[in-house]
Amino acid sequence: MVILAVIALVGGVLYGLSGLEFPLLTLLTGHSDLVLYLLMFLVGISIGLHEGILAKIKQYHIKAFLIPIGIIAGSLVGGAVCAPLLGFSIEESTMVASGLGWYSLAGVTVGNLAGAQLGSIAFLSNLMREIFSFFVIPPISRRLNYYTCIAPAAATSEDTTLSMMIRFTDEETVVLSVFNGVVCSAAVPLLISLCAALL
Amino acid sequence: MDVILIMCLGVLVGSRFFPKQYKKLCERLQVVCTLALIFCMGVMLGQRPGFLQELGQLGLQSLVFCLVPVAFSVLFVYLLTCRFMNGREKRNKRR
Repeated sequence: MVILAVIALVGGVLYGLSGLEFPLLTLLTGHSDLVLYLLMFLVGISIGLHEGILAKIKQYHIKAFLIPIGIIAGSLVGGAVCAPLLGFSIEESTMVASGLGWYSLAGVTVGNLAGAQLGSIAFLSNLMREIFSFFVIPPISRRLNYYTCIAPAAATSEDTTLSMMIRFTDEETVVLSVFNGVVCSAAVPLLISLCAALL
Repeated sequence: MDVILIMCLGVLVGSRFFPKQYKKLCERLQVVCTLALIFCMGVMLGQRPGFLQELGQLGLQSLVFCLVPVAFSVLFVYLLTCRFMNGREKRNKRR
């Protein structure tokens, strides 16, 4: 799967750089939102096929928030650690890390609040986080635990990286992954604004 | 939000109407969709004006901003789930 993902990513970048226009691929890239909808529908079917999953999730209660809390705290601490390493202020660094993988929003918002350079870094670093997640989820599922697979994906755990969750974890973790994605996605604009207010 | 609604629709279909013998087919289609999405992401990057230049100038800094927060997120979630959830038991032993 990881090799296929690399081939798909590199193939896509090369196709984009080449400027070629194949009708089928143009149709596909122009309707990627529909592909995402189809993927989500199929993931929903897989969850629905698993009997008793919702009852299991209810058992978690408040503990379901531990994963997004860990991700947000970890990202902010990680951002703060980056500050002295890269010569940025802690506010700027935590603003970039607050994107939690949502590169489109982070790039635009940070760009508007802190300038084009930091906006580009926010875009690239959060994009890298999403891509990196595809490759790191399989080893995390083997060496650490299923819940931790959600950590690198952060806000993307409710959509693009969800298929990796269903392939390398279990249905219970997939539902927690969707819940985490909703919480993290809601937190991204708040965190970026909060860090910007401290600037 | 629309993504969540569509997934809920899928959960309804999966729990009430979807034949279980097509579970494997459903999983294979998910892989195809995932690869198509990754390809689309690559195309979007390749078509972004000045992408390679941007990557060359800010790539290393961006990589550090990616890896360090991910490492701390993984550490925090691992410790929290081992302490408060059954994190030690839930891991993939087959793959």
